[in-house]
Amino acid sequence: MKNIELIEGMRDSIPIVLGYFPLGFAFGVLAAQVGLSVFQATMMSVLCFTGAGQYIAIGVVQAGGAIITAIIANILINMRYFLFATSMVPHFKHLPTLPASLLSYGLTDETYAVAVNRYQKHKASIAYMAGLNLTSHISWILSTFIGAALGMLIADTDKFGFGFALPAMYTCLLVLMISRKSDIIAAISAAVICIVIGYYLPASMSNMSNIIAATMIGATIGVLIND
Amino acid sequence: MTETSIFIMIFGVSLASLLPRILPIALLSRVTFPPLLTRWLSYIAPAVLGALTAVSILAPEGALNISIDNIFIWAFIPTLYSAVKTRSLFITLIVGIICMALLYNLM
Repeated sequence: MKNIELIEGMRDSIPIVLGYFPLGFAFGVLAAQVGLSVFQATMMSVLCFTGAGQYIAIGVVQAGGAIITAIIANILINMRYFLFATSMVPHFKHLPTLPASLLSYGLTDETYAVAVNRYQKHKASIAYMAGLNLTSHISWILSTFIGAALGMLIADTDKFGFGFALPAMYTCLLVLMISRKSDIIAAISAAVICIVIGYYLPASMSNMSNIIAATMIGATIGVLIND
Repeated sequence: MTETSIFIMIFGVSLASLLPRILPIALLSRVTFPPLLTRWLSYIAPAVLGALTAVSILAPEGALNISIDNIFIWAFIPTLYSAVKTRSLFITLIVGIICMALLYNLM
């Protein structure tokens, strides 16, 4: 039973792995370009699992900025995971706290959405979380390592269409997430609100605070409509 | 930056990305939320995916680009269609990547 769930988790991570590979690779290339060693770049992906946050940190290194700038930007960017993790709590009631907490480190936009979709029909389990979150994280680490070590040798991946991997994944996960009419309204409200905020406050796009605000307002609209 | 300051930065970014994911599960997993909060939390996933999809399509380079030149908008149409029809993450991903590769190389 446990093995099956572990394998199901790994299987469900395949699309995520495909999406992460070009991003992790590109991160490795950039990190090497701004002067991080292969070891430092890889360690960053081991200890931090936050695509946008790592890109920003690398930007700060490149600009010769202060460490605290990178850290504050990361606090902002990662704030939404507080919401995600809290929304997972009702699913995790029956799980042992320690492994569930540790595996939650592998919580990303993508693993979150895949897991929420799974928990609509299946009970959450440590084995499934391990398969999904660890495989995704390992692919992130591995692609960073390859990018940092071999980046200079390989041409850019844009022309292969990999730039659309994450948007395509978000689109499908969004479709899978919708079961109530109020889900559609919450999703569309959040989409419109985050674009409007991004339009008037372009800075919110780079630290993703528009996404946090739009998510909270969208969820509130969902509750108010409730069907 | 010196090697030490790079490691301090990595450690700081690590804490900033780790704590918000782990703390709610570690501290709240035995707490029962009031029904209204549980309902609100059930809308977080559709809402955040709506927001992420919108940003990834309409601001692919980080700045808003709502115009016919934005090939992400064009690739989005067949991708959404295949997501609704197949409900398969894998097929949707393949359709999206192929459409983007065609648009990128042809336009």
